[in-house]
Amino acid sequence: MRRALAVALLAVGLSITLADVALARIKLITLPVRERVEIQLDNPNATLVEEERIVPLVKGDNQVDFSWANTQIDPNTIVFRVIPHVETAGGKPKESAKPEAGPLDVKVLSVSYPPNEAALVWQVASSDSGSARVRISYLLGNLTKSFNYRAVASNDETTLTLSEYIRIQNLANESFGSTGLWAGFGPRFLKPIGINETKEMLIEKYQQVPVRKTYTADPQQYGYLDRPQNKLLVPMHYVLKNDQVSQLGRAPLQYGKVRIFQEDRHGGTAFLGEDWGKFTPLDDEMRLYVGTAQDVVVKRTIDRNEQKQVAGNLYNREVVVKYEIENFKEKAVTLDISENIRALRNEVAGDTGRDVQWELGKGTTLPGQPDEEKSTFEQVVFHVDLPARGADQKAVKVVHKLDVLIKNEW
Amino acid sequence: MKSLLSIILVLGLTASSWAQGTTQSNVDLSTVPSRDTVQLTIYNSEDLTLVRETRKVSFKKGVNPLQFSWANTLIDPTSVRLRFVTSPEKLELLDTTFPHAKPQMLYWNVQSEVDGEATVEITYFTSGISWSADYVCVANLDETEMSFEGFVRVSNNSGEEYEDAQVRLVVGKINLVEKIAQLASIKPEDVAKLEEGKRDRLEKQVLERAMVPQASGAAAADFAPAAEKPKEIIKEGLSEYFIYTIEGTETIPNGWSKRMRSFEGQTVPFKVHYRYRVPEYGDQLVRMYLLTNDKESKLGTTPLPDGMVRVFRHNGRDGLSFLVGQQIKYVPIGDKIELNLGPDPEVIFELVKLKTWRDNLWMQIQGAGAFKRADEPGAEIEVNSAVVGWDDHTLFAQRIRNYTQKSIEVEIRRALPGHVVFRSSLAARSHDYQTIEYVATVKPGQKADLLYEVLQHQGRNAKQDNVTVEHIDK
Repeated sequence: MRRALAVALLAVGLSITLADVALARIKLITLPVRERVEIQLDNPNATLVEEERIVPLVKGDNQVDFSWANTQIDPNTIVFRVIPHVETAGGKPKESAKPEAGPLDVKVLSVSYPPNEAALVWQVASSDSGSARVRISYLLGNLTKSFNYRAVASNDETTLTLSEYIRIQNLANESFGSTGLWAGFGPRFLKPIGINETKEMLIEKYQQVPVRKTYTADPQQYGYLDRPQNKLLVPMHYVLKNDQVSQLGRAPLQYGKVRIFQEDRHGGTAFLGEDWGKFTPLDDEMRLYVGTAQDVVVKRTIDRNEQKQVAGNLYNREVVVKYEIENFKEKAVTLDISENIRALRNEVAGDTGRDVQWELGKGTTLPGQPDEEKSTFEQVVFHVDLPARGADQKAVKVVHKLDVLIKNEW
Repeated sequence: MKSLLSIILVLGLTASSWAQGTTQSNVDLSTVPSRDTVQLTIYNSEDLTLVRETRKVSFKKGVNPLQFSWANTLIDPTSVRLRFVTSPEKLELLDTTFPHAKPQMLYWNVQSEVDGEATVEITYFTSGISWSADYVCVANLDETEMSFEGFVRVSNNSGEEYEDAQVRLVVGKINLVEKIAQLASIKPEDVAKLEEGKRDRLEKQVLERAMVPQASGAAAADFAPAAEKPKEIIKEGLSEYFIYTIEGTETIPNGWSKRMRSFEGQTVPFKVHYRYRVPEYGDQLVRMYLLTNDKESKLGTTPLPDGMVRVFRHNGRDGLSFLVGQQIKYVPIGDKIELNLGPDPEVIFELVKLKTWRDNLWMQIQGAGAFKRADEPGAEIEVNSAVVGWDDHTLFAQRIRNYTQKSIEVEIRRALPGHVVFRSSLAARSHDYQTIEYVATVKPGQKADLLYEVLQHQGRNAKQDNVTVEHIDK
């Protein structure tokens, strides 16, 4: 396939008008090749391409034609800059010139846009004959990036190895030779990327990342596994914290698919499942839903629902939720019990449209205090330790109650 | 491209025959004076360009018929005017005729006491020529200074090629009662049908604002093109407008457009600021570059017309990062330029609701006009009563985490509709009757929890529709 982009130097040194350019049938052009290309992928919504070419110029006026076909270059974003390191016609740097300015004094006089063409023409004035290194920048569509992860948990599920990959898909209809690629963090890659190619590269491999395995009973978020029997669905998550203590914390973790594996005892790995990892800022947690834990059974029932009149139509309401929990696993686990009090009020008394004013009642038997970090003004989270099933293969039934006093309702 | 406009001096015909709009003769002899100079004054707020051109015409003594035609262009026929630059005391325009059968053409009968050459000036409005501004900013790696370049881009889709034209660009909003493109499509025979007042008003408004420094062809030609450097764009303020005159002359063929640099500011200082303003930027904390269009900031040579600003930053690796493309509105000299870069992934902004409660509960006894407070100790309340007034309290923490390498300044504006009291130890103030504003500085790597309570009077407790700030000690 032909290259979709071209820079051409048109019949240099002529005082041709733009109309002449449009109508000319006989042209003498040179085609400067790309010397260097950088693709900047750090903007979430745009891909910036910067390419350098060495353009031969003659003293006086020059016309540099930049054209593209079948690519989504935004012509309004094209920036033309002359950068240092320029050679004269003899091939040697011009000593008299200031290095930072470059030996040639090259100025862009104007840019012209021909009708019905994906092209533009720079009118460039050069102080002398020689070569100028120019950098052309533009936003290019259909060259996109995405991220994905491979997480391999240790056999005991206490740590994992997290590999973060960037995948660059080039549907821009333009091939790039050895090209600098940078996502805004992590290493810079120097790779070729052809038309319609997808290239995946490892950004970082994080070793020994502590992982917390959680079981959660949250009727509002995850619902029921068996509604007639009031059995809650209990998802199991791997939770990673994006901080340096957890061997992470170098940059936000980007949104992307996480494939989760676990080491087996034979030197291999088993696929556990996959989940979308949300964008995770530093110090935040990435929760990965691995699957449903069917060996942890939680039955939730409303044990009590009592309305107490304060005055007229003003009521307080006491609600007790009972949890009957059995752990059929060989290991002891911790269960997170989460209850949204507003949703609980709506469940037993209907939605008033107002926030809930509530406090814990004395009948609460859930251990300890609510988790301050996880609980909110309307969400309460407790952690319950569950023993492993017994030697007789029977699970111990643990019963806990959440007593909530909902106040000033009408 | 050849010109589609022509002025023809028709020889051997009588004034009366032209006045009829057509001639009986089948044999015409014409001379076609070419355009000497042309000046384009382009308005970007409307699809309007004032064209001022001069031509040399040879007159004989007596009545001289002139034909002016503009086939396949977008000229407003009501706007075409003829003026005598030389020998005005000896030349007189007798009448103008728009012939019934010949569209996009008119005839002038000129009474001449001159037997020789004279320069005439023809002015008219055309549509299809436009200009726009755009800007390119490149910030340094430290985000303290930037280069700020302004460009103008002239596009010609008028159907006519104006060779070697002096180009002037008008910044500002003019008033037009009708679009020139519409007028350009009016049939000549309908021109006379236009309401006289409407025509006069249109022409007067526009011509008065056309800022006519009467640049003669000779003056325009004095601007010799400077090939070795970009053309200077001369800026001057006139009335409510600003006018850019591009040095020398330009030829922009039909269908082409041309972009030139209008100004450049190097090492322009700016500040990085964070703002939360929902009506302006949506429900997100955004990062801003703030600078000023003044001389102190190495700008201020011109107001900035509406246009797209593209912001880049040096990435420290011999390259640029693209930050944002943003449309800005007209920025007067001395005013602020605010560039919204969008959310910063290194600054986390969360509003956490910590607690809600209600008090000051008022009951109305059914069927009576009596009210009693329900939440006071020992209050006896009728069973047959209903809540009619209460106060909602909500305790919030505005949590900001700064993972950048610098201290950041965050300004937060939050609308609190209804009858609200905002209680906090923050140095908050009212931005307007229902919006509070406060500013916080968060050091690098730090987390700030900005606590405040919102008390909202509800039901009959609500007596106002405004927010009051109450300062409390920590």
